[in-house]
Amino acid sequence: MARYISRRLVLSLVTLWLLATIVFIIANVLPNDVGRTILGPFAPQESVDALNQKLGTDRPLIVQYADSMRRVFTFDYGDSYVTGQPVLPQLAAAMARSAKLAGLALFLTIPIAIAAGIFAARRRDRLADRGVVLLGVTSSSIPEFVTGTILVVVVGVQLKLLPVLATPPPNADIPTQIRYLLMPATAMAIVYFGYIARMTRAGTIDVLQSDYTRTATMKGLTTGQVMRKHVLRNALIPTVAVIAVQVGYLFGGIIAVEKIFNYNGMGQTMLFAAQRKDIPMLTAGAIIIGIVYMLATLAADMTMAWMNPRIRLDTEH
Amino acid sequence: MVDVIAEPTPIGPVVSPASSERSQARRETVRLLIRRPAFIIGNIVVIGWIITAVLGQRITPYDPFNQFFIGHEPPSPAHLMGTDRLGRDVLSRVMVGSRDVLIIAPLAAMLGVIAGTLLGLVMGYYRGTVDDVLSRIVEAFLALPVVLIALLTLVVLGSSPLVVVCVVGILFTPIVARTVRSAVLSERQLDYVTAAKLRGESGPFILSREIFPNVLGPTVVEMTVRFGYAIFTVATLSFLGVGLQPPSPDWGLTVSEEYNNMIAGVWWPTLFPALAIASTVIAVNLIADSLQSVLSE
Amino acid sequence: MDYRKLDEVRGSAVPLQLDTIEAFAAGRLSRREFIQRATVLGLSTGAIGMVIAACSSSSSSPSAAASVGASTAPSAAASVGASTAPSAAATGGVIRIASQKPVSVDPVAMQDLGGYGITAQSFEFLCTLDKGGSNIAPGLALKWTPNSDGTVWTFDLRQNVKWHDGSPFTADDVVATMERLVAAGNSGLKGVLGPGGAVAKDANTVVFTLVGGNGNFPYLVSVFNAQTLITPKAYVAGTTLDKVPAGTGAWKLKTYNAQTGATFERNPDWWGGPTPLDGTEFIFFDATGPMVTAYQGAQVDAIVQFDVLSGASLFNDPNFSIIATEAALHRQIWMRTDKGQFADKRVRQALAFTFDRPALIQQLFKGKAQLGNDHVIWQGYPYFDSSVPQRAQDTAKAKQLLSDAGVSNLTATLHCGQLLEIPDLATLLKSQAAQAGITLNVAVESLDTFYGAQWCPAAPKDPPCSGAAELGIVDYGHRATPDVYLNAALKSKGIWNSSQYNSPAFDAAFKEFQTSVGVDAQKAACTKIETILNDDVPIGLPYFYNYLAGNSKKFTGVYSSALGQMFFSAAATA
Repeated sequence: MARYISRRLVLSLVTLWLLATIVFIIANVLPNDVGRTILGPFAPQESVDALNQKLGTDRPLIVQYADSMRRVFTFDYGDSYVTGQPVLPQLAAAMARSAKLAGLALFLTIPIAIAAGIFAARRRDRLADRGVVLLGVTSSSIPEFVTGTILVVVVGVQLKLLPVLATPPPNADIPTQIRYLLMPATAMAIVYFGYIARMTRAGTIDVLQSDYTRTATMKGLTTGQVMRKHVLRNALIPTVAVIAVQVGYLFGGIIAVEKIFNYNGMGQTMLFAAQRKDIPMLTAGAIIIGIVYMLATLAADMTMAWMNPRIRLDTEH
Repeated sequence: MVDVIAEPTPIGPVVSPASSERSQARRETVRLLIRRPAFIIGNIVVIGWIITAVLGQRITPYDPFNQFFIGHEPPSPAHLMGTDRLGRDVLSRVMVGSRDVLIIAPLAAMLGVIAGTLLGLVMGYYRGTVDDVLSRIVEAFLALPVVLIALLTLVVLGSSPLVVVCVVGILFTPIVARTVRSAVLSERQLDYVTAAKLRGESGPFILSREIFPNVLGPTVVEMTVRFGYAIFTVATLSFLGVGLQPPSPDWGLTVSEEYNNMIAGVWWPTLFPALAIASTVIAVNLIADSLQSVLSE
Repeated sequence: MDYRKLDEVRGSAVPLQLDTIEAFAAGRLSRREFIQRATVLGLSTGAIGMVIAACSSSSSSPSAAASVGASTAPSAAASVGASTAPSAAATGGVIRIASQKPVSVDPVAMQDLGGYGITAQSFEFLCTLDKGGSNIAPGLALKWTPNSDGTVWTFDLRQNVKWHDGSPFTADDVVATMERLVAAGNSGLKGVLGPGGAVAKDANTVVFTLVGGNGNFPYLVSVFNAQTLITPKAYVAGTTLDKVPAGTGAWKLKTYNAQTGATFERNPDWWGGPTPLDGTEFIFFDATGPMVTAYQGAQVDAIVQFDVLSGASLFNDPNFSIIATEAALHRQIWMRTDKGQFADKRVRQALAFTFDRPALIQQLFKGKAQLGNDHVIWQGYPYFDSSVPQRAQDTAKAKQLLSDAGVSNLTATLHCGQLLEIPDLATLLKSQAAQAGITLNVAVESLDTFYGAQWCPAAPKDPPCSGAAELGIVDYGHRATPDVYLNAALKSKGIWNSSQYNSPAFDAAFKEFQTSVGVDAQKAACTKIETILNDDVPIGLPYFYNYLAGNSKKFTGVYSSALGQMFFSAAATA
């Protein structure tokens, strides 16, 4: 187990390095004058040169790259080119906001999707099963910006049931925050319902057909006991895998949803940093997202290994 | 996968499972597919959009680019889907909007699938250091959020259709590679491969003639799934403003240009392109789902 | 004509003010133009009222006085003394405002409307906005007087004004602010005020000695030159409002978050008296659509600026009151005059003849804009000359001009940034140009990229903007005088001269305009400018559009400039 974890950690570091390198390449592929970008087109050239020297952007690219990598791994990300403020506090706040949104979305979708998947698997090939599959395929095909827009207009404006801006007033209590986040979270949840439900269904079907389950039933265990002790555990393995993979796609969905609901999370922050060529913000943001992703995948893998010892021992994957 | 005949493999020319057997299996697959309603419906929708993409302006009721009527007219017999903010007929624009998406998304998917398949074949067959190193790189790439990297690249390089295809294609490659690799891993242990090796066939020959046709199943499924994701991703990127640019009638772009007007009660320029996106992705996913069910039986 | 009343005013008027009074009396200025010019030249509202009454004493003197009073009475009340009873008793309450996210709240360096709006809550100008929204009125300066040729302006400051920290506001603060602005190269003051040009005669008087005569100077230290907010002496260049909250204005900054918003609370010691509202809350957005959504969802009460299309639902909303200001906001379609396909004047004229201006105004602004004639003299300026014929769409002429110039199948890339209606404008222009056989390929980029890559790239540095694209659309905000447009965008070697326009005739006409101080002379110079620009067409200018802002009818007394500055000191709950 320890070997497994350490291998995964090393792999994660490699990925982080790769991510940082990609961001560096993207940021520097076109010639850009960082000092000029910050100070604007009308500042005197001397100030621009002085700023470039201070930021170190006039050094050769290799030197800048080495420095950039060093800073990535020592968490020294510097100040934003746009606001002049340190990037980490701003990103931390944005990350917290996005995490709340993503958390609520997952909280909404996972129980319902798993229940739907198991429900469908137990009634395999009957009408209910086909219905759930169709629903899953449909809902996972509708991009978040489509459902988000419809929700805003129908629920937020016409029915006035929920607030249309996702940002709650400062110091709001948890129920209020949930109320504000409910619509954007639902838009995201609808998409992930499909994936998770279908995965759970597939996993449950496999397990229900397995010898072990049949043996257990023949031994006299009730369906409920069989489900709880055995089926759930193993059926959820592919589900957990899917959830981990979805964390990456969550980010894509989050960008669109945050734009519609004017919610200042990681999505909006990265979008605007990209538009304004705010490289420190982009680098730091990409790394943070990468780390979160890695932790999620690691946690998913840990859970899967715990749930099925065979995976743990199988070093050949 | 394919059943192997259980008898000692004779020395001398041995043929791999008969090609006629293989084509018979294929025909059987197709017959099974056609029976599934999901497959049929999916194909009808996709082919419908392909027709509008190919025929383009020849079949639209009005000129989608240069004909301007009164802005934001609700749907009426003259304009079945109403007009957009500049007065252009929405139905015409939705029909022509399929072209961009149906060119870019498949290209991106194909790029990802071709590159991924090659990579997966090599990794799965050769194993050893090649596989180890490539696997690490692939895993590292898998951990990257697709939309984020696409966003960054498009903002920096400017969003031309070429860049979109390349970026999305490259980002899909690792996923395809991983799927193909696992399929190859199970194939390579089978006897017909050993037989081919004993015969002295070269690696590439085995890969292309023996293994590849047998991993075609998962590859095709993967390609269809990627196609659906590609449409989804390209639409999202256009919505965020880094995909196709105005005055393209691309569906995602149209939604981003018009969705704010829904507040004013103008729902039609947003809803119809959005439904178009949804219908296409659903159709493709239905096809992928059917393929997967049939090919895994 | 009541000469007695007129003479009362003429007796105490300085030559420049006299000149304006004469022009009005002789009918060369409309009443609106006169009010505008006279206010700028420092004539008090009482005097203005008297002149108007005098010149229309035959029939409508009460209404004349009333009309002046109506537009200037609140500012008259504000100018009377140190404290004024507010129009309504304190009603309490907080108004929530949707505003563009500020890029910077550094009063000297800010360039965006978001920043202008936020800083204008805490800081104030020498000449502030009058409640009508288009003229200047006494702010931190009570009175201003030019000398005979407009080279020296004396500003008498308001007394007993305190900074938010309690220290007194004095002329030294004004002088320090001006020095900072001049050192930073403020676009409005460049070439007008030099280092050391502002001098404190005493604690309550500042004397400005200008580089040359300038009849518009008070505009340049008013709300219309957004960076000229008066900041404390100790404010070092680069200080931002959120780092060091300060100001003399009605609102004290309470919280500021660059991403989400800002809150202000009432300044109990404001010279204008306690404000009816307890505070204001700004919520930042990145686009107008969500602002309208927020209003519909009852999460904001006012919107600083919106465009016609996103705000379509607001026009029919009985609970929303729209503040529409005709303004000089416009787009310039620049064409390189020095090299490339548009170097020949006839080609540029041909493109200008493809514009269907009324259609553009209808489709993009639902009629809420005014025609532009390919020059930057907006018809709202008092020296606008309407005698230059308005260019209209003439496809045949466009084709003729192209063939005269020996050009066939003209194909060019039309660059623009992602801002408001500009991409739609590009789409419509493409379609209109196609009718004359011109093929335009639209290329939209994000605004930051566009400015730095297509409009005025940093390199080559000299002449400025010489790296600009061949053809593009750029946005210009409202200015109370066309000086900035003429100086920066069109004068040879101007800092924003993307068309690289270089015309000695134009430069001479501009100089003539700048140095004219009498209204007639300014008008004559403008006629020359309009004619030259309309003929040379370095820039196509199809419209000047209205600035739109508004608030829910739950509040009254909100007024706004066309530069993103919304004022709430007189706002109250209805």
